[in-house]
Amino acid sequence: METRRENLRILAAISATCAFPFSADELFGQQQVQPTAKFLTEDELKLVSRISDLIIPTTDTPGAIAAGVPQYIDAVVAGNATMQKHFRAGLPLFGPDFLKKSESDQLTILKPLCEDSDAGRTPAGSLAALFHDIKNLTCDGYYTSKIGLVQELGYNGNMAMGGFTACGDEVHEH
Amino acid sequence: MKTYDVCIVGSGAGGGTLSAHLARRGVDVVVVEGGPKVNTRTAFNTHAMPFQFENRHIPTMKPGVPGFDSERSRGVGGKTMLWNAVAWRYSHRDFKGYSHDGAGFDWPIDYPDLKPWYDAIENEVGVCGNKDGLEDLPDGNFLPPVPMKCSDEIIKRGAAKLGIKIIQVRKATLSIPKFHRPACHFCGNCMSGCDVVAKYNSADCHMIPALATGKLEILHDSVVRRVATANGKATGVEFVNRVTGAEGSVNARVVVVACACVQSVALLMMSGIANESGHLGKDFIPHFTGGIQAFLEPLIGAKTTNDEGFLDHAYLPSFMHNRKRDYARSFAAQFNYQNRRAVGWARSISGMGADLKRSVKDRYPAFVLFSPYGEMLPNEDSFIDLDPTEKDQFGLPAARRHVVWGDNDMKIFHDMNYWSTAILKASGAEILSVSPTPATNHEIGGARMGSDPRTSVVNAQCQVHEIPNLYVVDASVFPSSSEKNPTLTIMALAARAADNIATRLKAREI
Repeated sequence: METRRENLRILAAISATCAFPFSADELFGQQQVQPTAKFLTEDELKLVSRISDLIIPTTDTPGAIAAGVPQYIDAVVAGNATMQKHFRAGLPLFGPDFLKKSESDQLTILKPLCEDSDAGRTPAGSLAALFHDIKNLTCDGYYTSKIGLVQELGYNGNMAMGGFTACGDEVHEH
Repeated sequence: MKTYDVCIVGSGAGGGTLSAHLARRGVDVVVVEGGPKVNTRTAFNTHAMPFQFENRHIPTMKPGVPGFDSERSRGVGGKTMLWNAVAWRYSHRDFKGYSHDGAGFDWPIDYPDLKPWYDAIENEVGVCGNKDGLEDLPDGNFLPPVPMKCSDEIIKRGAAKLGIKIIQVRKATLSIPKFHRPACHFCGNCMSGCDVVAKYNSADCHMIPALATGKLEILHDSVVRRVATANGKATGVEFVNRVTGAEGSVNARVVVVACACVQSVALLMMSGIANESGHLGKDFIPHFTGGIQAFLEPLIGAKTTNDEGFLDHAYLPSFMHNRKRDYARSFAAQFNYQNRRAVGWARSISGMGADLKRSVKDRYPAFVLFSPYGEMLPNEDSFIDLDPTEKDQFGLPAARRHVVWGDNDMKIFHDMNYWSTAILKASGAEILSVSPTPATNHEIGGARMGSDPRTSVVNAQCQVHEIPNLYVVDASVFPSSSEKNPTLTIMALAARAADNIATRLKAREI
């Protein structure tokens, strides 16, 4: 009885003092940061946007561009002198007409770079090294965005739960 | 100017516990804390999400709220505000490591000396857990344990195939409402502050209740730069204001340094005291961790469920101390304490395009982080000292940590990676990465406790050998680190030291 009374009192205290974002989802949208260009030029940003969108494209959920990844990359690069050098020197190596190529031609260029990047074949100054940076930042940016984390991956934590359910006791009614 | 009975530098697990225990005994206490007052209900970004921030990093404090801006000015509650609350008792083996395997040091005390104080702490703060009956991990007075996650159960079955036991974690977090605090609601944000105080922190659970005694005062924003001494005794402390830089001081009959391992050692060094043994700063033995990232195959492609819980729910206790091995000491492992808000592993998944997206999504519910903790042995090259040139924002010398891994440490490191990987493979896991080098974790040592004043800094009561009214109460005094998380032992030592101080004050010995 003592415990129950304490529970009720505490529940009242919690609801009065705490905000749990997932019970008020619209809170997120309001707090989402509006990006502004920082370091990359307009053309550089277009190129980075295209590459990031080929790394994480729109499928049944939105891809990198909708998730604000290019602006995230720009913000990170703007705060990192080494990356600034790599991006400014490296991006032109994709060629002046990369954006005019067909998607399959673009992928023909990027896929070998991705294989090199995944295998750790990324000597300093190489295009594979730059691709490696762009892929890392694309993944970081996408999966920390609301689209990537909540819509794509289905993150559903950060909620006040009544208790912790033992494995095997879940309610199967999804 | 008022002379307090006891002045305590620092307000974390050591100082916070000690202050409450003394105040409850009628002792006049002042706590001098370098940081501001921090309200855990409102100060931290507990429920923030990464996409609320342009760089996707969630700052510790809410905008404009001071605190946790330096190691010397975290705030009232110290690191207990942000800890993960894992709460083990050390065992006889942990206290008598040298007797057990001929390396490192024994403690001058043993488990029975500390057992009543572990009991007292568990009874007043609440520790949930299961009585497992393990000789090496003494049971305590536990609140009901929290069930394991599905991923824990998979790892438990995998470990069992190798004859290795996985148990439920023990945490100083309430599994039922108690002490006018709510039970945990499993939001999964324990290490970003707990805004309902289901998780223990020294401010809300020890110090604020003790204010009612009228015996406890807390000085905020007061960064102690020196312990003052005269005629071989401590007389008080001198401090600078964190914000204004103004100088101040307090007088006390007893001074306790409890401002976290490295900073406690640094403060004693800045004061030019407690080093007649020449051992101050030596025997620095932080825990070292490895890290294995893996995906549990039974969960690859599963539906995403909310299993944030209160971070880790299970634990791999030390088992190698009972097996044939070519090193001293042992290791244990915490696992599954990652928060599913962080998907930093996604960049390591190969491929691009829709395939990459699918690979990440499939693996998301299956990701586990396995973090073994090893016990380091003391060596000549691992110590704490003061930077001869670099000063911090308060104009005080920066503390430096020097850590060199010895042969024994590296043997443990390789073995803990080996066994962690073996357990994960036996659990049907796809291994993503194994960290190649040890990383330091919980800071321990530097002001070693011992019975011989020639080789140790404090005695068995945490009192500095050559200064009868100066105590050091935090993990800096641990002669050996164990592989177990240190906080409950810091709290038990603090409760024991408080008893010693109160008794000696009453007897007018100090």
